[in-house]
Amino acid sequence: MPGQVVVTGLGIISPIGIGVSEFWKAALEGHSGVSTITGFDPFPMDGYRSKVAGQVQGFSPERYLDSAQAERVDRYAQFALVAAKEALADSGLHMAREDPRRVGVIVGAGMGGMVMGEREITQLYQHQRPHRVHPNFIPVITLNSASGIVAMAHGAKGPNYTVSTACSSSAHALGQAMQCIKEGRADVVITVGADASITPLVFAGFCSLRALSTKYNDQPERASRPFDRLRDGFVMGEGAGALVLESAVHAKKRRARIYAEIAGYAATSEAYHMVIPREDGEEIATTMRLAMADAGLTPANIDYINAHATSTTIGDAVETKALRQVFRTRADKLAINATKSLVGHTLGAAGAIGGIATVLAIHTGQIHPTANYEEPDPACALQGLSSSVQERKVKAALLNAFGFGSNNAAVVIKRYAA
Amino acid sequence: MSDPAVTGKIIKALADYLRRNPESIEPDQHLRDDLGLDSMAVIELLYKIEEAFDIQIPDEDLVRLSTVGAVCQYVTHRLAPAKRPAPRSRAAKTRKKK
Repeated sequence: MPGQVVVTGLGIISPIGIGVSEFWKAALEGHSGVSTITGFDPFPMDGYRSKVAGQVQGFSPERYLDSAQAERVDRYAQFALVAAKEALADSGLHMAREDPRRVGVIVGAGMGGMVMGEREITQLYQHQRPHRVHPNFIPVITLNSASGIVAMAHGAKGPNYTVSTACSSSAHALGQAMQCIKEGRADVVITVGADASITPLVFAGFCSLRALSTKYNDQPERASRPFDRLRDGFVMGEGAGALVLESAVHAKKRRARIYAEIAGYAATSEAYHMVIPREDGEEIATTMRLAMADAGLTPANIDYINAHATSTTIGDAVETKALRQVFRTRADKLAINATKSLVGHTLGAAGAIGGIATVLAIHTGQIHPTANYEEPDPACALQGLSSSVQERKVKAALLNAFGFGSNNAAVVIKRYAA
Repeated sequence: MSDPAVTGKIIKALADYLRRNPESIEPDQHLRDDLGLDSMAVIELLYKIEEAFDIQIPDEDLVRLSTVGAVCQYVTHRLAPAKRPAPRSRAAKTRKKK
């Protein structure tokens, strides 16, 4: 079929592993990457209601990047660079053989360069010495610093921009990348989601929103528990996911391995509330229906849902309602999982990391467990949830992502067939 | 029982937040059903109350704070150290679950 867009390369930095093989092994084991926050040291944690997060451990940028590159960008963009590098290597794409203007970079990021952002703002307000603000402050906090640096690292001169829609940023980035290729504006789009803002101010902000889990500060690995009856809020995470998307024609011409096809996408607004979803779930249901229609599929074609499922009381119940509206009795026949149970909510990276889990489910026939799914909640009792690996031949899947600002995204990912 | 001074201060904060006459606010009014506060608005209101009374309200106490009167009583108790019903301890809750 003409106009197909496929995934040919994957890369990831996550709280359960750096690199796709480490991530996927831990994911299949249902391993939780949530731990006690250590990164604020010497900043004390006493005043924080929540004290846990999905932190990327053992990431030394100099191991992956040359020092000039690493020093000029914030942690989230370092993650983006490393994930994109892995995805490109995995895809086997050689930039030297490509027309650079036909290779784009689209990044989804929710918060951006908050590590340096917070540091510079604090120093300016404390010492009132404007001339001591770092010359790199503006380039680093500008929200497209990651899409810029990834393009520079690989000489990709095609469309280059950042999508910022909070928690759904990189699901929209995947959809935009698919459309960009379908419209013929690029052959390849390096699509990345990245965020790394487990910082004293941002974390305090999420605490004040009362959005985070606070019951499991003593048992961090149990804190992120989407759909479980004892969930009490989301757990902040950090990381990056990168997917090389390209036209099927281009991929076949260079005999690339094809993981899956990105087949449909929908973007909507609930036009309702900055942080609360509509409780009837109708807007989410509409978004899923539009994405399936965009892919030319119906609910009967879908086997698996990679849910947005952040582990908040309301959010998971609303998503369940929406799934029941769309799939009716089929809702209990779908395999469903929540990648955030493993890595926490990686904000702008969540769509890409969930996207990688979806692509790998299609590619390997294994659906990773939903960690801590122990006790079903009547408000979200879906039969296809499991705390164990599910073996299933997935033909088509939906990736859900919803963001602050009342926005929703759904992406259809399916098994590739020429 | 709530301290009248505390009640007055809370009703004033609510009235300011809702831009309405303090006299139209009654203790038995439900924050969501009667006063129209959504969950985010309740959080914003509690944020103001935390500042006004210099207290911290843990997440697990939120469920109790559904009416104006409940908020006034809760704050009164929190300000009276001898009678203070300590916010339910996390350790105790965790033990209960095992």
